[in-house]
Amino acid sequence: MAEAVAVAVESLAGVKARAARTVLGQVVLPGEELLLPEQEDAEGPGGAGERPLRLNPGVRSRVRVVCGPGLRRCGDRLLVTKCGRLRHKEPGGGGGGVYWVDSQQKRYVPVKGDHVIGIVIAKSGDIFKVDVGGSEPASLSYLAFEGATKRNRPNVQVGDLIYGQFVVANKDMEPEMVCIDSCGRANGMGVIGQDGLLFKVTLGLIRKLLAPDCEIIQEVGKLYPLEIVFGMNGRIWVKAKTIQQTLILANILEACEHMTTDQRKQIFSRLAER
Amino acid sequence: MAGLDLLSDQGYRVDGRRAGELRKIQARMGVFAQADGSAYIEQGNTKALAVVYGPHEIRGSRARALPDRALVNCQYSSATFSTGERKRRPHGDRKSCEMGLQLRQTFEAAILTQLHPRSQIDIYVQVLQADGGTYAACVNAATLAVLDAGIPMRDFVCACSAGFVDGTALADLSHVEEAAGGPQLALALLPASGQIALLEMDARLHEDHLERVLEAAARAARDVHTLLDHVVRQHVCEASLLLGD
Repeated sequence: MAEAVAVAVESLAGVKARAARTVLGQVVLPGEELLLPEQEDAEGPGGAGERPLRLNPGVRSRVRVVCGPGLRRCGDRLLVTKCGRLRHKEPGGGGGGVYWVDSQQKRYVPVKGDHVIGIVIAKSGDIFKVDVGGSEPASLSYLAFEGATKRNRPNVQVGDLIYGQFVVANKDMEPEMVCIDSCGRANGMGVIGQDGLLFKVTLGLIRKLLAPDCEIIQEVGKLYPLEIVFGMNGRIWVKAKTIQQTLILANILEACEHMTTDQRKQIFSRLAER
Repeated sequence: MAGLDLLSDQGYRVDGRRAGELRKIQARMGVFAQADGSAYIEQGNTKALAVVYGPHEIRGSRARALPDRALVNCQYSSATFSTGERKRRPHGDRKSCEMGLQLRQTFEAAILTQLHPRSQIDIYVQVLQADGGTYAACVNAATLAVLDAGIPMRDFVCACSAGFVDGTALADLSHVEEAAGGPQLALALLPASGQIALLEMDARLHEDHLERVLEAAARAARDVHTLLDHVVRQHVCEASLLLGD
């Protein structure tokens, strides 16, 4: 009976690990293991014929690969932990580049350096508590505004919208955000003005809208004059001249996720006519 | 026993399946817009809906927060119209609490809780129609919902039930086969590594037969994994198509 169990376990062991290079752009699922490029040479039958001659063939030069969201190191392989498409970015200088999984998500997890829109929920002593949609409210010191000193406090009330960036954001500590950049200038951050509408979309849509050559933003800009702020936590604040225009813009951006390019162009042309 | 033969002489079961055959499985992800992740699954006539929220702040007492990992909170509820006779209490009774606890054990094994310390992940499962294999359907639906929410997981969790009749192991029991009173085993498996997340049986079975029943359940769980794999890939392809990738 022991053999039957062993056979069952082996047949369950599942798919062999694949090389990360061959899976780029394809859907990967949790439980899959990926091989890094240097390991393919070790595990392949003979290796590529054109490998450069090494002075000391025993030592393999290790390429440093950065493991991004959706991937974890598991021994010397990468384990996929989220479902999505595998992406790779070539490195600027040395190193092996970054691998990550492009996945769809609604819940935001704070990441250092992200610019987000938060809502002030409490003032306690010298810090504000800001809700950014993560698992904990972020803290924002009152000195972290441009031109703020101990005597000259910023005018921030509970319920205000803040656009800032994270300086501390990891799983072990409470996230901290600031409204100035490293030079001490506001650079667009701070309290977001009166009026306008704040609404929530998925994180994937935000990343798509913030891509350098996004058509949607160009088309929206041609439609009405507007002010718009994108937070990486899935929140968008938009303000146009009239309330009706603001609502139209909010509805279009929310619907962009489920529309194909043609449908979107149709809607924009219909709105432009009016 | 008189009347119903769970396994005929030709090897067919009451609903016409073979011993190791699964019921038809259909599943969909992203069913609710409000929740972080949601999924719906139909396994034969058993229908289950799973909804996931998280990782978010600990609700209720702060003292329950774990300093190094996330708290997984599972709630199981079966609708009053889910069984043949109308149920009085949808949740809060003993069976629902036990199911919730089993689901929690299952998912604490699969979700990478160390990535979100001091936060809480809620998994709510509702059974809309119960025709046997409710634990398995709940686990499968919850796996899809957790994947839909983007919470990092070590691997899929696929579950199936198995029984033993006339020396043959049956996979994926229906309500008729469960009510007949034979031994039933529920297995939740992480397919890629072959590790068992939860194994539960509350009847008497001779240990000589255990290997066979376990193997039948494991094979059935791997078949479920193939189906769920296909569903997830399709969902991801559709989602990335609309986002213009």
